[in-house]
Amino acid sequence: MTVVAAFMVPGSPLPYVRRDNPPWGALADAMEKAGKALNTAQPDTLVVYSTQWIAVLDQLWQTRPHLVDVHVDENWHEYGELPFDITIDTELAAAAVSATNAAGIKSKGVDYDKFPVDTGTIVASAFLNPDNKHSLVITSNNVYHDWEMTRTLGRVVAEQAQSLGRKIAVIGVGGLSGSYFRHNIDIGQDRIASDSEDAWNRRVLGLMEQGDVAGLQEQCPAYAAEAKVDMGFKHFAFLMGALGDHFSSATVHGYGPLHGAGGAVVEYHL
Amino acid sequence: MSDGQIIAGYLAPHPPHLVYGENPDQNEARSQGGWEQLRWAYERARRSLEEQKPDVLLVHSPHWITQQGHHFLGVPHLSGKSVDPIFPNLFRYSFELDVDTELAEACCDMAADMGLTTKMMRNPKFRVDYGTITTLHMIRPQWDIPVVGISANNSPYYLTTEEGLEEMDVLGKATRKAIEATGRRAVLLASNTLCHLHFSEEPVPPEDMAQEHPHDYEGYLWDMRIIDLLRQGKTQEVFEVLPQFIDEAFAEVKSGAFTWMFSAMGYPEIPGELHGYGTVIGTGNAVMEWDLIKAGLAQAAEGEPA
Repeated sequence: MTVVAAFMVPGSPLPYVRRDNPPWGALADAMEKAGKALNTAQPDTLVVYSTQWIAVLDQLWQTRPHLVDVHVDENWHEYGELPFDITIDTELAAAAVSATNAAGIKSKGVDYDKFPVDTGTIVASAFLNPDNKHSLVITSNNVYHDWEMTRTLGRVVAEQAQSLGRKIAVIGVGGLSGSYFRHNIDIGQDRIASDSEDAWNRRVLGLMEQGDVAGLQEQCPAYAAEAKVDMGFKHFAFLMGALGDHFSSATVHGYGPLHGAGGAVVEYHL
Repeated sequence: MSDGQIIAGYLAPHPPHLVYGENPDQNEARSQGGWEQLRWAYERARRSLEEQKPDVLLVHSPHWITQQGHHFLGVPHLSGKSVDPIFPNLFRYSFELDVDTELAEACCDMAADMGLTTKMMRNPKFRVDYGTITTLHMIRPQWDIPVVGISANNSPYYLTTEEGLEEMDVLGKATRKAIEATGRRAVLLASNTLCHLHFSEEPVPPEDMAQEHPHDYEGYLWDMRIIDLLRQGKTQEVFEVLPQFIDEAFAEVKSGAFTWMFSAMGYPEIPGELHGYGTVIGTGNAVMEWDLIKAGLAQAAEGEPA
Protein backbone atom coordinates (compact mmCIF):
# COMPACT_ATOMS: atom_id res chain seq x y z
CA MET A 1 0.00 0.00 0.00
CA THR A 2 1.39 3.39 -0.98
CA VAL A 3 -0.59 5.63 1.33
CA VAL A 4 -0.01 4.29 4.82
CA ALA A 5 -1.43 7.19 6.81
CA ALA A 6 -3.45 10.35 6.28
CA PHE A 7 -4.15 13.33 8.49
CA MET A 8 -5.81 16.71 8.46
CA VAL A 9 -4.21 19.24 10.81
CA PRO A 10 -4.65 22.97 11.36
CA GLY A 11 -2.01 25.34 10.06
CA SER A 12 -2.38 27.98 12.75
CA PRO A 13 0.79 28.54 14.77
CA LEU A 14 -1.17 29.08 17.99
CA PRO A 15 -1.07 25.48 19.31
CA TYR A 16 2.67 25.45 18.72
CA VAL A 17 3.67 28.83 20.08
CA ARG A 18 1.14 29.05 22.93
CA ARG A 19 0.34 25.51 23.99
CA ASP A 20 0.19 26.82 27.56
CA ASN A 21 -3.20 28.30 26.64
CA PRO A 22 -5.69 25.48 27.33
CA PRO A 23 -7.88 25.78 24.20
CA TRP A 24 -4.80 25.72 21.99
CA GLY A 25 -2.85 23.27 24.16
CA ALA A 26 -5.54 20.66 23.57
CA LEU A 27 -4.90 20.92 19.85
CA ALA A 28 -1.16 20.67 20.46
CA ASP A 29 -1.73 17.46 22.42
CA ALA A 30 -3.85 16.17 19.55
CA MET A 31 -1.10 17.00 17.07
CA GLU A 32 1.35 14.98 19.11
CA LYS A 33 -1.04 12.03 19.14
CA ALA A 34 -1.25 12.28 15.38
CA GLY A 35 2.54 12.38 15.23
CA LYS A 36 2.76 9.13 17.17
CA ALA A 37 0.22 7.49 14.89
CA LEU A 38 2.15 8.69 11.87
CA ASN A 39 5.37 7.22 13.21
CA THR A 40 3.67 3.90 13.80
CA ALA A 41 2.67 3.78 10.13
CA GLN A 42 6.34 4.08 9.15
CA PRO A 43 6.03 6.16 6.01
CA ASP A 44 9.03 6.97 3.87
CA THR A 45 7.80 10.43 2.99
CA LEU A 46 5.21 12.91 4.24
CA VAL A 47 3.26 14.60 1.46
CA VAL A 48 2.06 17.98 2.70
CA TYR A 49 -0.50 20.28 1.09
CA SER A 50 -0.83 23.55 2.98
CA THR A 51 -3.54 26.13 2.39
CA GLN A 52 -1.13 28.80 3.61
CA TRP A 53 1.39 28.33 0.84
CA ILE A 54 -0.31 30.55 -1.67
CA ALA A 55 0.56 30.18 -5.35
CA VAL A 56 -0.84 32.18 -8.22
CA LEU A 57 0.88 31.34 -11.49
CA ASP A 58 1.62 27.64 -11.27
CA GLN A 59 1.36 24.72 -8.93
CA LEU A 60 4.56 25.02 -6.91
CA TRP A 61 6.48 22.15 -5.31
CA GLN A 62 9.40 22.59 -2.99
CA THR A 63 12.47 21.01 -4.55
CA ARG A 64 15.27 22.40 -2.38
CA PRO A 65 16.86 19.38 -0.68
CA HIS A 66 17.20 20.87 2.77
CA LEU A 67 15.30 23.75 4.34
CA VAL A 68 16.65 25.17 7.58
CA ASP A 69 15.62 28.57 8.88
CA VAL A 70 13.56 30.50 11.38
CA HIS A 71 10.18 31.89 10.42
CA VAL A 72 8.13 34.54 12.20
CA ASP A 73 4.41 34.45 11.55
CA GLU A 74 3.02 37.55 9.87
CA ASN A 75 0.15 37.88 12.32
CA TRP A 76 1.29 36.17 15.52
CA HIS A 77 4.85 37.49 15.63
CA GLU A 78 4.59 38.37 19.33
CA TYR A 79 4.54 34.69 20.25
CA GLY A 80 8.02 33.98 18.98
CA GLU A 81 9.76 32.15 16.21
CA LEU A 82 9.05 29.00 14.25
CA PRO A 83 12.36 27.24 13.59
CA PHE A 84 12.32 24.48 11.01
CA ASP A 85 14.61 21.82 9.63
CA ILE A 86 12.99 19.99 6.75
CA THR A 87 14.41 17.47 4.30
CA ILE A 88 12.70 17.22 0.93
CA ASP A 89 12.14 14.01 -1.00
CA THR A 90 13.38 15.66 -4.17
CA GLU A 91 12.90 12.58 -6.32
CA LEU A 92 9.23 12.32 -5.51
CA ALA A 93 8.79 16.09 -5.76
CA ALA A 94 10.34 16.13 -9.23
CA ALA A 95 8.16 13.22 -10.28
CA ALA A 96 5.10 15.09 -9.02
CA VAL A 97 6.05 18.20 -10.99
CA SER A 98 6.39 16.17 -14.19
CA ALA A 99 3.23 14.16 -13.63
CA THR A 100 1.03 17.11 -12.72
CA ASN A 101 2.25 18.94 -15.81
CA ALA A 102 1.36 15.86 -17.83
CA ALA A 103 -2.06 15.88 -16.15
CA GLY A 104 -2.63 19.40 -17.44
CA ILE A 105 -1.85 21.33 -14.27
CA LYS A 106 1.10 23.60 -14.90
CA SER A 107 3.64 22.92 -12.18
CA LYS A 108 7.17 23.82 -11.29
CA GLY A 109 9.66 23.26 -8.52
CA VAL A 110 11.13 25.98 -6.33
CA ASP A 111 14.71 25.67 -5.17
CA TYR A 112 15.78 28.94 -3.61
CA ASP A 113 17.64 29.90 -0.47
CA LYS A 114 15.31 31.73 1.92
CA PHE A 115 12.19 30.88 -0.03
CA PRO A 116 9.41 31.63 2.47
CA VAL A 117 8.11 28.33 3.82
CA ASP A 118 4.60 28.90 5.14
CA THR A 119 3.54 28.73 8.77
CA GLY A 120 1.18 25.81 8.22
CA THR A 121 3.85 23.57 6.73
CA ILE A 122 6.27 24.45 9.50
CA VAL A 123 3.77 23.78 12.27
CA ALA A 124 2.70 20.47 10.75
CA SER A 125 6.30 19.40 10.32
CA ALA A 126 7.20 20.43 13.86
CA PHE A 127 4.42 18.36 15.43
CA LEU A 128 4.31 15.36 13.09
CA ASN A 129 7.98 15.08 12.23
CA PRO A 130 9.79 16.74 15.14
CA ASP A 131 13.12 15.00 14.60
CA ASN A 132 13.13 15.45 10.82
CA LYS A 133 13.08 11.66 10.61
CA HIS A 134 10.98 11.61 7.46
CA SER A 135 11.51 13.50 4.25
CA LEU A 136 8.71 15.69 2.95
CA VAL A 137 7.06 16.63 -0.29
CA ILE A 138 5.50 20.08 0.10
CA THR A 139 3.11 21.63 -2.36
CA SER A 140 1.20 24.85 -2.61
CA ASN A 141 -2.36 26.07 -2.71
CA ASN A 142 -2.88 27.76 -6.04
CA VAL A 143 -5.74 30.12 -5.38
CA TYR A 144 -7.15 29.62 -8.86
CA HIS A 145 -7.37 25.84 -8.53
CA ASP A 146 -10.76 24.42 -7.68
CA TRP A 147 -11.72 21.33 -5.72
CA GLU A 148 -11.32 18.97 -8.65
CA MET A 149 -7.90 20.25 -9.67
CA THR A 150 -6.71 19.99 -6.08
CA ARG A 151 -8.09 16.48 -5.85
CA THR A 152 -6.14 15.65 -9.00
CA LEU A 153 -2.94 16.88 -7.37
CA GLY A 154 -3.44 14.48 -4.49
CA ARG A 155 -4.18 11.60 -6.85
CA VAL A 156 -1.17 12.28 -9.03
CA VAL A 157 1.33 12.54 -6.20
CA ALA A 158 0.06 9.27 -4.73
CA GLU A 159 0.45 7.61 -8.13
CA GLN A 160 4.01 8.88 -8.39
CA ALA A 161 4.78 7.64 -4.90
CA GLN A 162 3.54 4.23 -5.95
CA SER A 163 5.73 4.32 -9.06
CA LEU A 164 8.76 5.10 -6.93
CA GLY A 165 7.90 2.54 -4.29
CA ARG A 166 7.39 5.12 -1.58
CA LYS A 167 5.17 4.63 1.42
CA ILE A 168 3.65 8.02 2.11
CA ALA A 169 1.66 9.77 4.78
CA VAL A 170 -0.60 12.41 3.29
CA ILE A 171 -1.22 15.55 5.32
CA GLY A 172 -3.76 18.22 4.49
CA VAL A 173 -2.84 21.35 6.43
CA GLY A 174 -5.69 23.77 6.87
CA GLY A 175 -8.50 24.95 9.06
CA LEU A 176 -12.21 24.29 9.35
CA SER A 177 -14.68 27.15 9.79
CA GLY A 178 -13.27 30.51 8.88
CA SER A 179 -14.97 33.16 11.00
CA TYR A 180 -12.51 34.49 13.54
CA PHE A 181 -12.19 37.17 16.16
CA ARG A 182 -10.67 40.24 14.54
CA HIS A 183 -9.99 41.92 17.84
CA ASN A 184 -8.11 41.00 20.98
CA ILE A 185 -9.81 38.41 23.15
CA ASP A 186 -9.17 36.64 26.42
CA ILE A 187 -7.38 33.76 24.76
CA GLY A 188 -8.17 31.44 27.66
CA GLN A 189 -11.83 31.83 26.72
CA ASP A 190 -11.35 31.25 23.00
CA ARG A 191 -14.30 29.57 21.29
CA ILE A 192 -15.63 28.94 17.80
CA ALA A 193 -16.83 32.38 16.72
CA SER A 194 -20.09 31.22 15.16
CA ASP A 195 -22.50 28.68 16.62
CA SER A 196 -23.74 27.68 13.19
CA GLU A 197 -20.20 27.17 11.95
CA ASP A 198 -19.44 25.12 15.06
CA ALA A 199 -22.43 22.92 14.24
CA TRP A 200 -21.21 22.54 10.66
CA ASN A 201 -17.72 21.58 11.83
CA ARG A 202 -19.10 18.93 14.17
CA ARG A 203 -21.38 17.53 11.48
CA VAL A 204 -18.52 17.16 9.01
CA LEU A 205 -16.17 15.69 11.60
CA GLY A 206 -18.94 13.21 12.48
CA LEU A 207 -19.17 12.14 8.85
CA MET A 208 -15.42 11.64 8.83
CA GLU A 209 -15.54 9.52 11.97
CA GLN A 210 -18.18 7.35 10.28
CA GLY A 211 -16.16 7.07 7.09
CA ASP A 212 -19.16 8.42 5.20
CA VAL A 213 -17.33 9.53 2.09
CA ALA A 214 -20.49 9.87 0.03
CA GLY A 215 -22.01 12.07 2.71
CA LEU A 216 -18.90 14.19 2.83
CA GLN A 217 -18.81 14.63 -0.92
CA GLU A 218 -22.42 15.75 -0.83
CA GLN A 219 -21.99 18.10 2.11
CA CYS A 220 -18.58 19.64 1.40
CA PRO A 221 -19.66 22.32 -1.09
CA ALA A 222 -22.31 23.69 1.27
CA TYR A 223 -20.01 23.33 4.26
CA ALA A 224 -17.21 25.21 2.52
CA ALA A 225 -19.51 28.06 1.60
CA GLU A 226 -21.67 28.35 4.71
CA ALA A 227 -18.93 27.82 7.29
CA LYS A 228 -16.42 29.96 5.37
CA VAL A 229 -14.02 27.05 5.46
CA ASP A 230 -10.34 27.78 5.04
CA MET A 231 -9.62 28.00 1.30
CA GLY A 232 -12.76 26.15 0.33
CA PHE A 233 -11.64 23.04 2.24
CA LYS A 234 -9.24 22.22 -0.59
CA HIS A 235 -6.84 20.53 1.82
CA PHE A 236 -9.51 17.86 2.22
CA ALA A 237 -9.86 17.64 -1.57
CA PHE A 238 -6.13 16.94 -1.78
CA LEU A 239 -6.48 14.23 0.84
CA MET A 240 -9.42 12.64 -0.96
CA GLY A 241 -7.48 12.59 -4.20
CA ALA A 242 -4.53 10.88 -2.57
CA LEU A 243 -6.81 8.40 -0.81
CA GLY A 244 -8.75 7.55 -3.94
CA ASP A 245 -11.91 8.86 -2.27
CA HIS A 246 -11.81 6.16 0.33
CA PHE A 247 -11.21 5.76 4.04
CA SER A 248 -13.03 3.51 6.45
CA SER A 249 -13.31 5.81 9.45
CA ALA A 250 -11.46 8.58 11.20
CA THR A 251 -10.32 9.54 14.67
CA VAL A 252 -10.72 13.14 15.65
CA HIS A 253 -7.80 13.62 17.99
CA GLY A 254 -8.81 17.17 18.71
CA TYR A 255 -11.21 19.92 17.70
CA GLY A 256 -11.21 23.45 18.95
CA PRO A 257 -11.00 27.18 18.36
CA LEU A 258 -8.10 29.11 16.92
CA HIS A 259 -9.00 32.70 17.74
CA GLY A 260 -12.53 31.92 16.70
CA ALA A 261 -11.81 29.82 13.62
CA GLY A 262 -12.18 26.06 13.70
CA GLY A 263 -9.33 23.59 13.71
CA ALA A 264 -9.24 19.81 13.99
CA VAL A 265 -6.63 17.08 14.06
CA VAL A 266 -8.05 14.11 12.20
CA GLU A 267 -6.49 10.74 11.49
CA TYR A 268 -8.07 8.82 8.62
CA HIS A 269 -8.14 5.03 8.86
CA LEU A 270 -7.44 3.38 5.54
CA MET B 1 7.76 68.21 19.19
CA SER B 2 4.88 69.33 16.98
CA ASP B 3 4.15 70.86 13.55
CA GLY B 4 4.77 67.60 11.76
CA GLN B 5 3.20 67.32 8.35
CA ILE B 6 2.62 65.09 5.39
CA ILE B 7 4.49 66.67 2.52
CA ALA B 8 3.62 64.23 -0.27
CA GLY B 9 1.93 61.00 -1.15
CA TYR B 10 2.78 58.56 -3.91
CA LEU B 11 0.92 55.76 -5.54
CA ALA B 12 3.89 53.39 -5.59
CA PRO B 13 3.08 49.89 -6.84
CA HIS B 14 5.28 46.93 -5.98
CA PRO B 15 5.67 44.48 -8.88
CA PRO B 16 8.99 42.75 -8.14
CA HIS B 17 9.57 42.78 -11.89
CA LEU B 18 10.64 46.42 -11.59
CA VAL B 19 13.48 45.55 -9.24
CA TYR B 20 14.37 42.60 -11.45
CA GLY B 21 14.42 44.85 -14.51
CA GLU B 22 16.71 47.33 -12.80
CA ASN B 23 19.35 44.78 -11.74
CA PRO B 24 20.40 46.36 -8.42
CA ASP B 25 23.22 44.72 -6.51
CA GLN B 26 20.84 43.67 -3.75
CA ASN B 27 18.83 41.38 -6.05
CA GLU B 28 20.28 38.00 -7.02
CA ALA B 29 18.25 37.58 -10.19
CA ARG B 30 19.62 39.22 -13.34
CA SER B 31 17.65 40.53 -16.30
CA GLN B 32 18.08 42.27 -19.61
CA GLY B 33 15.84 45.08 -18.42
CA GLY B 34 12.15 45.38 -19.11
CA TRP B 35 9.22 47.47 -17.83
CA GLU B 36 11.20 50.62 -18.63
CA GLN B 37 8.16 52.90 -18.71
CA LEU B 38 7.45 52.11 -15.08
CA ARG B 39 11.07 52.10 -14.00
CA TRP B 40 11.63 55.47 -15.60
CA ALA B 41 8.46 56.69 -13.93
CA TYR B 42 10.01 55.74 -10.61
CA GLU B 43 13.19 57.61 -11.61
CA ARG B 44 11.10 60.77 -11.95
CA ALA B 45 9.44 60.07 -8.61
CA ARG B 46 12.86 59.60 -7.02
CA ARG B 47 13.88 63.07 -8.15
CA SER B 48 10.76 64.57 -6.59
CA LEU B 49 11.36 62.72 -3.36
CA GLU B 50 14.93 64.00 -3.27
CA GLU B 51 13.61 67.57 -3.43
CA GLN B 52 11.00 66.97 -0.76
CA LYS B 53 13.57 65.89 1.83
CA PRO B 54 11.30 63.84 4.06
CA ASP B 55 12.29 62.60 7.50
CA VAL B 56 10.41 59.36 7.03
CA LEU B 57 8.66 57.19 4.46
CA LEU B 58 5.48 55.39 5.49
CA VAL B 59 4.44 52.42 3.38
CA HIS B 60 1.23 50.39 3.53
CA SER B 61 1.73 47.04 1.82
CA PRO B 62 -0.88 44.49 0.70
CA HIS B 63 1.65 41.71 1.07
CA TRP B 64 1.91 41.95 4.83
CA ILE B 65 -1.54 40.59 5.51
CA THR B 66 -2.82 40.55 9.07
CA GLN B 67 -6.11 39.29 10.45
CA GLN B 68 -6.06 40.63 13.99
CA GLY B 69 -5.55 44.35 13.63
CA HIS B 70 -3.30 46.78 11.84
CA HIS B 71 0.37 46.09 12.53
CA PHE B 72 3.43 48.34 12.44
CA LEU B 73 7.09 47.44 12.07
CA GLY B 74 8.57 48.18 15.46
CA VAL B 75 12.19 47.04 15.35
CA PRO B 76 14.80 49.80 14.86
CA HIS B 77 16.82 47.90 12.28
CA LEU B 78 15.69 45.01 10.12
CA SER B 79 17.69 43.07 7.60
CA GLY B 80 17.52 39.83 5.70
CA LYS B 81 16.79 38.34 2.36
CA SER B 82 13.31 38.65 0.96
CA VAL B 83 12.24 36.07 -1.60
CA ASP B 84 8.97 36.66 -3.40
CA PRO B 85 6.83 33.54 -2.94
CA ILE B 86 5.10 34.11 -6.29
CA PHE B 87 8.08 35.23 -8.37
CA PRO B 88 11.12 33.70 -6.63
CA ASN B 89 12.83 33.55 -10.01
CA LEU B 90 12.77 37.36 -10.15
CA PHE B 91 13.07 38.66 -6.62
CA ARG B 92 15.62 37.50 -4.06
CA TYR B 93 16.60 40.75 -2.43
CA SER B 94 18.97 41.40 0.46
CA PHE B 95 17.58 44.32 2.41
CA GLU B 96 18.51 46.49 5.34
CA LEU B 97 16.24 49.19 6.64
CA ASP B 98 15.89 51.51 9.59
CA VAL B 99 12.50 51.96 11.20
CA ASP B 100 11.25 55.18 12.75
CA THR B 101 9.96 53.34 15.78
CA GLU B 102 8.86 56.49 17.59
CA LEU B 103 6.51 57.39 14.78
CA ALA B 104 5.42 53.77 14.35
CA GLU B 105 4.51 53.60 18.04
CA ALA B 106 2.63 56.89 17.73
CA CYS B 107 0.68 55.62 14.73
CA CYS B 108 -0.12 52.41 16.55
CA ASP B 109 -1.28 54.20 19.70
CA MET B 110 -3.27 56.82 17.80
CA ALA B 111 -5.07 54.24 15.70
CA ALA B 112 -5.90 52.28 18.84
CA ASP B 113 -7.23 55.45 20.46
CA MET B 114 -9.45 55.91 17.41
CA GLY B 115 -10.95 52.46 17.82
CA LEU B 116 -8.82 50.17 15.67
CA THR B 117 -7.14 47.01 16.83
CA THR B 118 -3.41 47.59 16.46
CA LYS B 119 -0.20 45.80 17.22
CA MET B 120 3.50 46.58 17.10
CA MET B 121 5.73 44.01 15.42
CA ARG B 122 8.74 43.77 17.71
CA ASN B 123 10.32 40.51 16.61
CA PRO B 124 13.78 41.20 15.14
CA LYS B 125 13.68 38.01 13.08
CA PHE B 126 10.60 39.12 11.19
CA ARG B 127 10.81 38.85 7.41
CA VAL B 128 9.70 42.09 5.79
CA ASP B 129 7.32 41.43 2.89
CA TYR B 130 8.38 41.92 -0.71
CA GLY B 131 5.71 44.56 -1.36
CA THR B 132 7.18 46.87 1.27
CA ILE B 133 10.70 46.24 0.02
CA THR B 134 9.90 46.68 -3.66
CA THR B 135 8.09 49.97 -3.14
CA LEU B 136 10.86 51.31 -0.91
CA HIS B 137 13.60 50.24 -3.29
CA MET B 138 11.88 51.74 -6.29
CA ILE B 139 11.24 55.10 -4.62
CA ARG B 140 14.49 55.40 -2.66
CA PRO B 141 17.14 52.81 -3.56
CA GLN B 142 19.68 54.45 -1.25
CA TRP B 143 17.70 53.16 1.78
CA ASP B 144 18.85 56.22 3.75
CA ILE B 145 15.47 57.44 5.02
CA PRO B 146 13.81 55.71 8.00
CA VAL B 147 10.55 53.96 7.30
CA VAL B 148 7.31 53.00 8.96
CA GLY B 149 5.89 49.76 7.59
CA ILE B 150 2.17 49.15 7.99
CA SER B 151 0.36 45.87 7.39
CA ALA B 152 -2.76 45.42 5.32
CA ASN B 153 -5.43 44.22 7.68
CA ASN B 154 -7.63 42.00 5.58
CA SER B 155 -10.86 43.72 6.63
CA PRO B 156 -11.82 44.71 3.04
CA TYR B 157 -11.87 41.01 2.17
CA TYR B 158 -13.21 39.61 5.44
CA LEU B 159 -15.87 42.28 5.82
CA THR B 160 -17.40 44.20 2.92
CA THR B 161 -15.16 46.39 0.79
CA GLU B 162 -16.84 49.47 2.20
CA GLU B 163 -16.48 48.37 5.82
CA GLY B 164 -12.85 47.49 5.27
CA LEU B 165 -12.03 50.76 3.59
CA GLU B 166 -13.72 52.64 6.43
CA GLU B 167 -11.07 51.11 8.68
CA MET B 168 -8.37 52.28 6.30
CA ASP B 169 -9.86 55.75 6.43
CA VAL B 170 -9.56 55.75 10.21
CA LEU B 171 -6.03 54.39 9.92
CA GLY B 172 -5.15 57.26 7.62
CA LYS B 173 -6.55 59.86 10.00
CA ALA B 174 -4.64 58.29 12.87
CA THR B 175 -1.46 58.29 10.79
CA ARG B 176 -1.83 61.98 10.09
CA LYS B 177 -2.32 62.80 13.77
CA ALA B 178 0.71 60.74 14.71
CA ILE B 179 2.85 62.50 12.11
CA GLU B 180 1.70 65.89 13.34
CA ALA B 181 2.33 64.96 16.95
CA THR B 182 5.83 63.66 16.35
CA GLY B 183 6.94 66.55 14.19
CA ARG B 184 7.92 64.49 11.19
CA ARG B 185 8.03 65.62 7.58
CA ALA B 186 6.51 62.51 6.11
CA VAL B 187 5.94 61.01 2.69
CA LEU B 188 3.27 58.36 2.29
CA LEU B 189 3.59 55.44 -0.10
CA ALA B 190 0.49 53.53 -1.17
CA SER B 191 1.87 50.25 -2.46
CA ASN B 192 -1.00 49.37 -4.77
CA THR B 193 -1.57 48.21 -8.31
CA LEU B 194 -4.69 49.43 -10.12
CA CYS B 195 -6.49 46.77 -12.24
CA HIS B 196 -5.16 43.47 -11.01
CA LEU B 197 -6.21 40.66 -13.28
CA HIS B 198 -3.07 39.01 -14.58
CA PHE B 199 -1.81 36.37 -16.96
CA SER B 200 -1.36 32.88 -15.60
CA GLU B 201 1.90 32.15 -17.40
CA GLU B 202 5.20 33.98 -17.54
CA PRO B 203 6.93 34.57 -20.87
CA VAL B 204 10.47 33.34 -21.41
CA PRO B 205 12.37 35.43 -20.61
CA PRO B 206 10.07 37.21 -18.13
CA GLU B 207 11.29 40.58 -19.45
CA ASP B 208 10.12 39.89 -23.00
CA MET B 209 8.17 43.11 -23.43
CA ALA B 210 6.65 41.85 -26.65
CA GLN B 211 4.41 39.79 -24.39
CA GLU B 212 3.49 42.60 -22.00
CA HIS B 213 0.14 44.34 -22.37
CA PRO B 214 -3.03 44.93 -20.34
CA HIS B 215 -4.75 41.73 -19.30
CA ASP B 216 -8.06 43.01 -20.61
CA TYR B 217 -9.41 46.11 -22.26
CA GLU B 218 -12.02 46.74 -19.57
CA GLY B 219 -9.36 46.91 -16.90
CA TYR B 220 -7.28 49.26 -19.00
CA LEU B 221 -10.27 51.54 -19.52
CA TRP B 222 -10.93 51.58 -15.79
CA ASP B 223 -7.32 52.48 -15.07
CA MET B 224 -7.41 55.35 -17.54
CA ARG B 225 -10.66 56.62 -16.07
CA ILE B 226 -9.23 56.58 -12.54
CA ILE B 227 -5.92 58.15 -13.58
CA ASP B 228 -7.70 60.83 -15.56
CA LEU B 229 -9.82 61.75 -12.56
CA LEU B 230 -6.77 61.79 -10.32
CA ARG B 231 -4.86 63.99 -12.76
CA GLN B 232 -7.77 66.44 -12.66
CA GLY B 233 -7.82 66.42 -8.87
CA LYS B 234 -11.30 64.94 -8.74
CA THR B 235 -10.56 62.97 -5.60
CA GLN B 236 -14.11 62.83 -4.34
CA GLU B 237 -15.32 61.39 -7.63
CA VAL B 238 -12.58 58.76 -7.51
CA PHE B 239 -13.70 57.60 -4.11
CA GLU B 240 -17.34 57.57 -5.22
CA VAL B 241 -16.53 55.06 -7.96
CA LEU B 242 -13.83 53.19 -6.06
CA PRO B 243 -16.01 50.24 -4.96
CA GLN B 244 -17.19 49.76 -8.56
CA PHE B 245 -13.61 50.00 -9.82
CA ILE B 246 -12.53 47.40 -7.27
CA ASP B 247 -15.31 45.02 -8.23
CA GLU B 248 -15.03 45.34 -11.99
CA ALA B 249 -11.25 45.60 -12.36
CA PHE B 250 -10.30 43.40 -9.41
CA ALA B 251 -8.29 46.45 -8.34
CA GLU B 252 -5.67 45.96 -5.69
CA VAL B 253 -6.57 49.27 -4.11
CA LYS B 254 -9.13 47.15 -2.29
CA SER B 255 -6.38 46.19 0.15
CA GLY B 256 -6.47 49.67 1.59
CA ALA B 257 -3.22 51.53 0.94
CA PHE B 258 -4.78 54.00 -1.49
CA THR B 259 -7.59 54.90 0.92
CA TRP B 260 -5.17 55.08 3.86
CA MET B 261 -2.95 57.53 1.97
CA PHE B 262 -5.75 59.80 0.77
CA SER B 263 -7.40 59.82 4.17
CA ALA B 264 -4.11 60.82 5.79
CA MET B 265 -3.68 63.61 3.23
CA GLY B 266 -7.24 64.81 3.85
CA TYR B 267 -8.57 63.73 0.43
CA PRO B 268 -7.11 66.83 -1.27
CA GLU B 269 -8.78 67.90 -4.49
CA ILE B 270 -5.45 68.57 -6.17
CA PRO B 271 -4.13 67.18 -9.44
CA GLY B 272 -1.90 64.18 -9.10
CA GLU B 273 1.19 64.04 -11.26
CA LEU B 274 1.39 60.91 -13.33
CA HIS B 275 5.01 59.85 -13.59
CA GLY B 276 4.13 56.85 -15.71
CA TYR B 277 1.84 53.91 -16.34
CA GLY B 278 2.57 50.41 -17.45
CA THR B 279 1.47 46.84 -17.13
CA VAL B 280 3.23 44.02 -15.37
CA ILE B 281 2.13 40.53 -16.29
CA GLY B 282 -1.10 42.21 -17.36
CA THR B 283 -1.83 44.25 -14.22
CA GLY B 284 -2.12 48.03 -14.41
CA ASN B 285 0.42 50.12 -12.51
CA ALA B 286 0.64 53.88 -12.16
CA VAL B 287 3.34 55.84 -10.38
CA MET B 288 1.68 59.05 -9.23
CA GLU B 289 2.58 61.87 -6.91
CA TRP B 290 0.63 64.37 -4.86
CA ASP B 291 3.04 67.10 -3.76
CA LEU B 292 1.34 68.88 -0.88
CA ILE B 293 4.09 71.51 -0.72
CA LYS B 294 3.53 72.61 -4.29
CA ALA B 295 -0.20 72.58 -3.65
CA GLY B 296 0.26 74.91 -0.70
CA LEU B 297 -0.99 72.33 1.75
CA ALA B 298 2.37 71.75 3.43
CA GLN B 299 5.47 73.78 4.05
CA ALA B 300 8.83 73.32 2.35
CA ALA B 301 11.80 72.38 4.48
CA GLU B 302 13.73 75.28 5.94
CA GLY B 303 15.97 76.82 3.31
CA GLU B 304 14.10 75.16 0.46
CA PRO B 305 11.89 77.01 -2.04
CA ALA B 306 8.18 76.13 -1.87
